[in-house]
Amino acid sequence: MRTRRSWAVAVAAMTVSLVTACGRDGGEPGPEAARPVDAGAARGELIVWAMGTEGEKLSELARDFEAANPEAKVNVTAIPWDDAHDKIATAIAGRQTPDVSLVGTTYMAEFARSGALDPTPSIIDGQAFFPGAWDTTVVNGTSYGVPWYVETRLLYYRTDLARRAGVSPPSGWPELTAFARSMRDAAGAQWGLNLQAGGEGTWQNFMPFAWQAGASITDPGGKQFTLDTPAMIEALEFYKSFFSGSLSPTTAPRPGELEQGFVDGSYAAFFSGPWHIELVREQGGPDFAANWSVARMPRRVAGTSFVGGGDLAVFKDARNRDAAWKFVRYLTQPEVQVTWYESVGDLPSVKSAWQDARLSGDPLLKTFGDQLNEAVSPPAIATWEQVASVLDTQVERVVRGVSSPADAARAMQAEATAIGTGF
Amino acid sequence: MAVGMLAARRGAAWWAGLRPRTRRGLAAWGFALPFLIVFAAFLGGPVLAALGMSFTDLRSTDLRDPLGVNIIGFDNYLRLFGDEVFGQALVNTGVFVLGSVPLTVVSALAVALALNRGVTRLRTFFRVGYYLPVVTSIVAVAVVWRFLLEPDTGLVNSVLRSVGIEGPHWLDDPAFAMPSIIVMTAWRGMGFMMVVFLAGLQAIPRTVYEAAEVDGAGRWQRFRHITLPLLRPTMLFAVVVTTIGQVQFVEEPFVMTRGGPLNQTLSVSMDVYNQFGFGNYGYASAMSYALFVVIVALTVVWFRLLRSAR
Repeated sequence: MRTRRSWAVAVAAMTVSLVTACGRDGGEPGPEAARPVDAGAARGELIVWAMGTEGEKLSELARDFEAANPEAKVNVTAIPWDDAHDKIATAIAGRQTPDVSLVGTTYMAEFARSGALDPTPSIIDGQAFFPGAWDTTVVNGTSYGVPWYVETRLLYYRTDLARRAGVSPPSGWPELTAFARSMRDAAGAQWGLNLQAGGEGTWQNFMPFAWQAGASITDPGGKQFTLDTPAMIEALEFYKSFFSGSLSPTTAPRPGELEQGFVDGSYAAFFSGPWHIELVREQGGPDFAANWSVARMPRRVAGTSFVGGGDLAVFKDARNRDAAWKFVRYLTQPEVQVTWYESVGDLPSVKSAWQDARLSGDPLLKTFGDQLNEAVSPPAIATWEQVASVLDTQVERVVRGVSSPADAARAMQAEATAIGTGF
Repeated sequence: MAVGMLAARRGAAWWAGLRPRTRRGLAAWGFALPFLIVFAAFLGGPVLAALGMSFTDLRSTDLRDPLGVNIIGFDNYLRLFGDEVFGQALVNTGVFVLGSVPLTVVSALAVALALNRGVTRLRTFFRVGYYLPVVTSIVAVAVVWRFLLEPDTGLVNSVLRSVGIEGPHWLDDPAFAMPSIIVMTAWRGMGFMMVVFLAGLQAIPRTVYEAAEVDGAGRWQRFRHITLPLLRPTMLFAVVVTTIGQVQFVEEPFVMTRGGPLNQTLSVSMDVYNQFGFGNYGYASAMSYALFVVIVALTVVWFRLLRSAR
């Protein structure tokens, strides 16, 4: 399906463009300067694309914006997540983009690299956001959007089992191993800690360990891959130890099995994002609330987690660019972000929004807010999806004992370098 | 009005003045034209564009300026030889086709023979039963099979356990994932082949069998020397269609294993799909054309092998 649509995208791109000369211009694109945004109220019609629940609920939030800017009209189009990437890509190829769109953080670099996104103007204060989330908008030294909402990963664990086993949430790596072992041996869980053994998205489970050990995917400029390092090998060793020690299953749980197993005590702990709060509550019911909690990532050199979420981007082909940025600024006001959290459950990307009692008063959410200060996003490179699949494959090889951690790190580096950063 | 009628009359005169042969040719082209236009615009165009793309380094980041790419000749095709994942996908696809095509054809032939001769009662019931998997959505079939093959709670391992065998983690074990998918595909493809073989079997005249019987030929001899040779054109059709379909298999691993574990069930089509997803449009087009060449070559080979002896 996606293949067919991508073909359509590429063919549309071929036919639409009237450029006759072939060949790349050569040289790499440097940083881009942002144009200023005019002062005063927003005017005119705004076309906004958003996916999932955000797409369904955004028009309600836009009503307040329209009240404050009587001459502006916001039109929200809801798009399914599955279609999002190709639909935006087609719009870029046909130069028929919306003014603003929600863009998945891992697509930012690709769209920015194609020259479709407008650099973030100075009416947006980058310092207001969690740094890991802000980094997802920065491509080649220029910011091309704004984090709208964030998510990060924490350790979900059974507090009652931990008490029975006599352990507390792990502060470091050796403690995490001991924690998982006690959960299994002393508290009777089948699996002490669920980790993803392979397949798509394994890197999201694995990379926090690599970051904790001090490894990084690229150098700070995002030009060269730095995957073959002692820290990476150490993290691979550590990740593998949970599978070889039978603390984690190599067979991935079926959909729903993890939540059910968490409630019945067969899975004592796992790493996941904020959406699991609701899933665990649904599965466990009101009586279960006292039996579980979340904890921050264990520390090695650092206590890093993964940060993801959604960004808002304005397109160069936008028909109403100034109003678009004003709408983006409105959506990232702290109070609007808290209202948005109450409406759809998206965690605010703006740091100051977390001082609101509705967020800081909830101990589970507060832990997420704390972790967000120490959370890293994958590098904003145009080839990230492909590099991520290399990490998925190599981590799986280590987990299944096909490659040694050192060989896997070397293969990661070689394959990622062959793919390049897309610049 | 008058001018229009004059033009029409002149046209009719021109048409009548043509030679019958030319007239027939023009009429034929006229009828074929709607299809040809649609084909050229929506199939021929993209197919040629993809061929053109396969000689460039077009990526998804070039969308705004798709002609501002470099023409790199056969580089994409040469790169395929060094691509380990593509190599693995080729091997997997080969194993899959070599396993599933014979399995499908043999089991379909066996069922068709049984339904054609042996089974007389409930024949329609069995025909529908065997054909049902063909018309069921592949995604639904794959999901149900995934449940059957579940290591702890699945039906297959429960049955094995009742006779004292601890079954493997079918889809999670690198050694068993591909065989599981092959068996499922054969099970699903069997119904269609069965219908084709039934039609072929019924086209064989009864008199030939009767003559053979009079000459004292046994069951096996009749099958070996009458059924098989006369079924040859049907067999050719069955094998070619199955091969073309299964070289491009993608839904089965996509739903059941996502190509894992360890890329053991990654097919070429799925690899192409992934590369398009990564935005490597030029490279993915080259992969598609490489697969196309393989399919054409396989078809030629089958035609050679199964051509009716003249």
